Amino acid sequence: MKWISTDIEMYLKAAEYVDTAIIPLFPVAFGDGMKESSAKTEFSGLLSGLLERQFRGRVILLPGIPYLNGSEDSLILQLEEWEKVLAEGGLKHVFYITSDIGWKQRESRLGGSLLWMPSLPLEHMDEASKMSVLEDQAKQLMPLFARKWEELDGV
Amino acid sequence: MSKHRVSRRQFLNYTLTGVGGFMAAGMLMPMVRFAVDPVLKANAAGDFTATKLKVDDITKEPERVDFTFDQKDAWYESEVTNTAWVYKNEEGQIVALSPVCKHLGCVVAWNTDKKNPNRFFCPCHFGLYEKDGANVPGTPPLARLDEYPYKVKDGILYLGKAKPRKEA
Repeated sequence: MKWISTDIEMYLKAAEYVDTAIIPLFPVAFGDGMKESSAKTEFSGLLSGLLERQFRGRVILLPGIPYLNGSEDSLILQLEEWEKVLAEGGLKHVFYITSDIGWKQRESRLGGSLLWMPSLPLEHMDEASKMSVLEDQAKQLMPLFARKWEELDGV
Repeated sequence: MSKHRVSRRQFLNYTLTGVGGFMAAGMLMPMVRFAVDPVLKANAAGDFTATKLKVDDITKEPERVDFTFDQKDAWYESEVTNTAWVYKNEEGQIVALSPVCKHLGCVVAWNTDKKNPNRFFCPCHFGLYEKDGANVPGTPPLARLDEYPYKVKDGILYLGKAKPRKEA
């Protein structure tokens, strides 16, 4: 489910089935890093959207969190708050989706699972190949969700 | 050159009629267009979208088919890709099922759960459907998978909008 009113209405009716939050992390930089950070933001945004489409009955895709390059450490503190609030709301799994490698070394400090995917040069692709590339990437991430859920349900 | 000279009165008359005619046409044209618009629209292919699948290539094993069409969402127009699971049933009829789980809308896939071969499986809450789209009792979904109406033209499969199935 997306963070839009119709989906949230559906969530309120079926909250007991939804236990996973997806939070995209979007880097923002100006100057030299502008192009790179926008590509990363675009890529992880599209990827999160695709994953939401696959798993819409069990996940909530939260609005992505933008942060300035270099402010990751202060964001971690905020994310702890987020996780606390989400857990109270019944969302016990949190997946962060990002293309920013900076999170890889901070992974152990995050409560949720980090899904890092290197961004691909989408700007040179036409619509159809873009879709198939993104779908391939999403397909690689999907088992990670399934595994997390299986652990929990003890299937 | 004719010797007939145009008088000032005639000249003004011609000009005014001409300009007036254009103005009237400018007003009437959109109205006429508006009135006959539904007729013109019926010529389009309707709500059916062509897939890349040839009818002869459809087997008894469900196959994933993606097809793309334009969708207008308020002012935002986008290309939407839909997926269908297509196969021929025992009687040789084509069946095109929607992959959207009737429980909460996740995407189901054919034969992905090792414990339940030859069924559609929903990874979110482990919903199951038989090959014909019937929900397996005891799993979360409470209805059959939606079915796409289909058309065959020039050997190519065309799919319409997914509809809930009538109870058989």
